[in-house]
Amino acid sequence: MTVIMKSISSKLVAISTQKPLWVYAILLLLTLGVGSQIPRITIDTDPENMLDAEHPARVFHNQTKANFGMYDAIVVGVVDDKTSQGVYNQSSLTDIFDLTESILAIDGVVDADLMSISTVDNISQAGPGTIRFEWMMPNPPADQAAAQQIQTNIERLPLLYDTLVSKNGKAAAIYVPILDKNESYRIAEEIRAAINQFDGTEQWYITGLPVAEDQFGFEMFVQMGISAPLAGLTIFILLFIFFRNIPLIIAPMVVAMATVIVTMGLLIGFGFTVHIMSSMIAIFLMPIAVVDSVHILSEFSDRYKPGEDLKAVVKGVVGHLFTPMLFTSITSSVGFFSLMLTPIPPVQIFGAFVGFGILFAFLVTIVFIPAYLSRMSDKALNNLQDALHQDGNGDGSQIARIARGLGKIATGYKGTLLVAFGVIFAVSVWGVMQIQINDNPVRWFKSDHEIRVADRVLNENFAGTYNAYLVLTDRSEQVTPQSMLTTDAMPASLSDWREETLATVQEGASTEALQNLIFAIDDKLFDDLTNDEADYLDAVMAKVEAADSQGKTFQSPELLAYIEKLQQTLQDSGLVGKSNALPDVVKVVNRELRSGEQQDYTLPDSSNAVAQTLLQYQSSHRPNDLWHFVTPDYRAALIWLQLTSGDNQDMTAVVQLVSDYIDANPLPAGIEADWAGKAYLNVVWQENMVAGMLDSLMGAFVIVFVMMIVLFRSLVYGVLAMLPLTITITFIYGLIGIVGKDYDMPIAVLSALTLGLSVDFAIHFLERARATFNDTGSVQQTMAIMFEEPATAISRNALVIALGFTPLLFAPLVPYITVGVFLASIMAISALVTLLLLPVVMSLGRKIVFKSAN
Amino acid sequence: MKFTQFAKTTLAATILAATSLTFLTPAMAEVNVNQLIKEGEKAAYYAGEDGRSDARMMIVDSQGRKQLRQFTILRKDVEDNGDQKMMVFFSRPTDVKDTVFRVEKHADTNVDDDRWLYLPALDLVKRISAGDKRTSFVGSHFFYEDVSGRAVSQDDFSLVEENAERYVLKAVPKDPGSVEFAYYIVEIDKATSLPVLINFYKSDDTNYRRVESVQVDEVQGFPTVLRSKVSDLTNGGYTLMEFRGSEYNVGLPDDVFTERSLRNPPVQWIK
Repeated sequence: MTVIMKSISSKLVAISTQKPLWVYAILLLLTLGVGSQIPRITIDTDPENMLDAEHPARVFHNQTKANFGMYDAIVVGVVDDKTSQGVYNQSSLTDIFDLTESILAIDGVVDADLMSISTVDNISQAGPGTIRFEWMMPNPPADQAAAQQIQTNIERLPLLYDTLVSKNGKAAAIYVPILDKNESYRIAEEIRAAINQFDGTEQWYITGLPVAEDQFGFEMFVQMGISAPLAGLTIFILLFIFFRNIPLIIAPMVVAMATVIVTMGLLIGFGFTVHIMSSMIAIFLMPIAVVDSVHILSEFSDRYKPGEDLKAVVKGVVGHLFTPMLFTSITSSVGFFSLMLTPIPPVQIFGAFVGFGILFAFLVTIVFIPAYLSRMSDKALNNLQDALHQDGNGDGSQIARIARGLGKIATGYKGTLLVAFGVIFAVSVWGVMQIQINDNPVRWFKSDHEIRVADRVLNENFAGTYNAYLVLTDRSEQVTPQSMLTTDAMPASLSDWREETLATVQEGASTEALQNLIFAIDDKLFDDLTNDEADYLDAVMAKVEAADSQGKTFQSPELLAYIEKLQQTLQDSGLVGKSNALPDVVKVVNRELRSGEQQDYTLPDSSNAVAQTLLQYQSSHRPNDLWHFVTPDYRAALIWLQLTSGDNQDMTAVVQLVSDYIDANPLPAGIEADWAGKAYLNVVWQENMVAGMLDSLMGAFVIVFVMMIVLFRSLVYGVLAMLPLTITITFIYGLIGIVGKDYDMPIAVLSALTLGLSVDFAIHFLERARATFNDTGSVQQTMAIMFEEPATAISRNALVIALGFTPLLFAPLVPYITVGVFLASIMAISALVTLLLLPVVMSLGRKIVFKSAN
Repeated sequence: MKFTQFAKTTLAATILAATSLTFLTPAMAEVNVNQLIKEGEKAAYYAGEDGRSDARMMIVDSQGRKQLRQFTILRKDVEDNGDQKMMVFFSRPTDVKDTVFRVEKHADTNVDDDRWLYLPALDLVKRISAGDKRTSFVGSHFFYEDVSGRAVSQDDFSLVEENAERYVLKAVPKDPGSVEFAYYIVEIDKATSLPVLINFYKSDDTNYRRVESVQVDEVQGFPTVLRSKVSDLTNGGYTLMEFRGSEYNVGLPDDVFTERSLRNPPVQWIK
């Protein structure tokens, strides 16, 4: 195998050193060609896309949105805590009225479903025995008494109270459903412009998922526009400190740029959207892409002496480094490719393309760098020598001093270190078990971000701006028109009609078939019929009507009572701010139809009474509000849960509560409960992520382990290679568990890929240690030599990668910062663990380790 | 099938009522708009002394999901172009069967219509405060006002266009705060005097709602709307209403239009 690789590498180097201009031209063409796709970039900020479009939970969520006529909504909040009446004062209510009018005039707003004090209905008693339906606020209140009346009215309507106006009266909300969430920025801007006209003392807030997503997309561009170039700059400065030679370090920068441009160009060219994960591709690839070049340049500048055959030196260097570079590139890419085992599309795409990018960078490095070096002028080469050999006091030597210091610790305190690592590992394992899995896309913004502020204020005041939907669906078989139109008693003269009717009534939704049949029979009854025919049809009609009524599952008072109790359980648990469902609608109308007093806030006792109550509810300005809670066929009902927290831990607790409740109080046969809503989807993809990440981590671990055994042709060395990164990753995740930081998306994603990155240090250390031992035959001497140049090189590369990620710390969004901190520390710690632990284990286990080395 | 039946249906009455005009601009002298509307209103809304009709309503939402309603309307005029009594008896779906609306309509716009409701399953008679008449009629795209009639004096009318078949009038509400539209354009068929198309507009000239006669037949010498449709042009839903079994001058006694009929439907007139 080594022979094949040597020959591949020497052929590649021969071509690239002999035809450097061709290499330049091809690389340039490739970069420009593929890079030309980049302007077609589409940003994807929808957290829903964490699930595949075909994922059952997502399909059901979207079905639920369609079935119950729900749209993504912008939430406008207003808080007035200056006056004792809160928002129930003339000025605030007038502003709400005016703003609502302005919002209704904006294109792209679903007017019919907009919820504001001025667009909802009031149902009240207009005197003894008289019910009144009217707009809650048809005009701005004329005086304080009118404002107070609105308060009285809203507090009587559970569906509005604590949803449109907070219980403390200090905050009001306007829910603005929009047709296309890609329009949310424009609509939010228009709303802001309207708000800016107001001169009251109230504070206004705009939030809601579409706005957050839009804002997020914007911040992503900022991140890509600032952090990625900053990462490039950081690497450039580091390289300059290492090599002190601008022409020389241009080469790795070219490799990094070409890799980033080609990878992003391909990703966009293939039609993938840029999600939060893929927006970090540039920043991941840049440090990784230059690492191989750093190896070549280091060795080249060490080996090359003026007057030597340039091409021969280059060939020697690349030939020497080819195998380790190939292996480290493959292990790194395996870490990323393993992300494709996680069933979260953005994570898969990220893994696939970074994995590709690493391999591409390797290829460019071994083709372009030799070509570049072979074209360097004598003057530039001499400068390089001067710079490297004159300057012994730079950062490079400081790194060397630190490396030697580490060597003293590693060789002087073997027992202590081993015990310390053992204890750290044990504590870390315990820490890992304490990990709390939790995420909330709103928390991706920094805590002082206006979206976080709005989120906090509105959730402090209201029952909650996070939505989850529990959908109860009757999936039992419905009576079919065939079984209704029995043929045994049917006059033969009707058989043609029967055939035609059966064909037509079953067009459209199956739940409407009986309804259609009623119409068809009704039509037929207007014909000239014989007595037999009429008798038959009358009899069938009675049966069909009964069956049709029976099929309207959620008109049943028993089921409504079930929902009512479930709602009460949710309320009592304190996990849910508020729940809204069909029983609330029925009870309010029932109360107003009867006395208007609290004692009549009850469910009626028959299905017909429920139907007649709802018929009245539909006689309002907003008849379609009913269909947010039940489908028109009454076969599915929705319970809308308002949560004050979008953390999926909280949502998981709710799901568990409902599941326990249903176990203890079984639903009638045929009725099933399913979840929808963004808060729930978050739970699903988080669960997917945890399970998927475990797969990725185990997959990467096994593949890298096997590769190590193959590379070193030794099981012992394979185990040694995996040791530092195992301890590092366990330590980092243990720390997360102990500190109590939530295990969220960025942290989950990083576990598998750091494995591939941090094994590099062990590979280099072990390879060099084994070679040195073969030369010296002494373990002690080997370790001494290891803490000279090899340890310095490892520290240097650890610094490049760790510092290369630090520009992420300046990113505007929390996940980027997490990734930056996390990767920088995992790189630093794994280099440290490699340099401290491996010498200890190798020394103590010398009999096995170095026997195996021979 | 009873071929003698026919109705000046409530809907036609509604549409005409909605277009009833106060003649303010005698600009087009050759067309006496006031006269036109008065005649139309009488013909469509107050034809005969009384009438009955079976109505069937199909409510279709923006997703194509259907709900059906079936009811019988009885009407008796107190005075032509004046007060009117009306009963609506629901027969389908069966869960709302025997629900009854009773209306006493007053031509004087200063006097609210009287409305009552009977819900059999709740065994409850309830008076409904008129409040706003532009609320949905039992969940359909028809407004209560489309069924009972929009008061004559509430809009200012002007003739926009006259062609071979139709008069086109624009109506502007006198109290814009009380309605959701800025104006509407109504087209009246010359041959039948029936309004056959009404388009409602927002102040930015968006046409968001349409009321139209889909089928008009001449029965018993009276042009009658047999099918009509209200469309929500913003969201895409619509309601189709069909009328059958209509009769005029059937001699409905006054006691049919009393509270007694709420709990005891006058079966002979309903079926």
